[in-house]
Amino acid sequence: MSRIDVLWEQEVAAYFQSLGINQGPGDIQYRLIVLVLASNEGGVTQFSDIRTYTDRIADRGSVASKLKTVFLLDGLAERVQRGGYVVTDKGLAAARFIQESGKFYKRSTKIAAIIERMP
Amino acid sequence: MQQDLSELGGFSGFGGLILNAAICAAITLSALAFAWTLHTQDPDPKSKNTPSLKALIAFWVVVAIAFLITFVRVTAAFFGYPDLDVLCYYLAAVPLGFLPVPLVFFIVYVATGDKRSAWTMSLLFTVFGTMYLLFLLPSEIVGPDVTYWATTITSESDFALTIYLSALFIVPTAMIIALLGSILARKPSKRSQYRVALTLVAISLVFDFILVDAVAIDCVMQVAARIFVLISVVLAFLAYHPPERLQERLRIQEITGCEVDD
Repeated sequence: MSRIDVLWEQEVAAYFQSLGINQGPGDIQYRLIVLVLASNEGGVTQFSDIRTYTDRIADRGSVASKLKTVFLLDGLAERVQRGGYVVTDKGLAAARFIQESGKFYKRSTKIAAIIERMP
Repeated sequence: MQQDLSELGGFSGFGGLILNAAICAAITLSALAFAWTLHTQDPDPKSKNTPSLKALIAFWVVVAIAFLITFVRVTAAFFGYPDLDVLCYYLAAVPLGFLPVPLVFFIVYVATGDKRSAWTMSLLFTVFGTMYLLFLLPSEIVGPDVTYWATTITSESDFALTIYLSALFIVPTAMIIALLGSILARKPSKRSQYRVALTLVAISLVFDFILVDAVAIDCVMQVAARIFVLISVVLAFLAYHPPERLQERLRIQEITGCEVDD
């Protein structure tokens, strides 16, 4: 599984929250869960894999609730065993969108910094 | 040359030189005025744009100094003092040789935000400027060739010309275009686009027409280049002080209002 930078994802989520986007790209739990699921494409993601990243920012209950109410309900992931999930095509599309949002953040902050330095 | 002057009936035969000198004086005054407006615009010393603002002020001051000396040079040619003309040619080479230094600092700082990189690049261009002067000053010159429109002096040092063209002018121009492209590609607000684009285009035009001025063989080309330098200084001024009509037309006006009770 490729490494996911939790601090970076938190920074990106905070940026989107500052734009009034509190769901999806602005939700740190959503970001981490979808990225962990996508990084395990073709395999089963254990709930413990997700908690490796989410424990620092959210409690176990809210992550489990997010998995159930968003990921399973909207078909972004399927539960294949007790505590085991597989990402779906919809889930991979969501992960790509989240990755793009990270690039968008990088571009936006870069241009904002350049404009700020222009006299 | 004194003989030529007497043949033309004194300096009355060089009316174009007066226009040339007037353009140089206008560039000097407008560049200085613009530098002064920049100096008074931002009183916050902790602002992130302070280093780039200082570099931009330095750039316009150097342009003003270069054209002040050129003004003296053209006036000297008009009154028939070839020695002063040559002296001013060498003196003007100093600010022109170091003109890219504040510009490169400005571009690198705006693009990266790293003062150390900006200083390093500026130092590199200071070395290029010094090399240019070291090759130029001892070299043989042809002229001054005083015509109706201009006074031209040509250096016979190929090294000086090569450094002048390749290092001192082409590289900073390419940097300006790259910075402009990278900013506009990311689509900032219309107001920012206007200010950034016009500022960088004006700097680029001033820079390029100073180059054309320096390498001009045709005397009319020299005057034309100086007219374009003057237009570019006005463009730079318009970047920071756009007229109301233009703001309305481009929809870049700053709309502010007082708080209202619902």
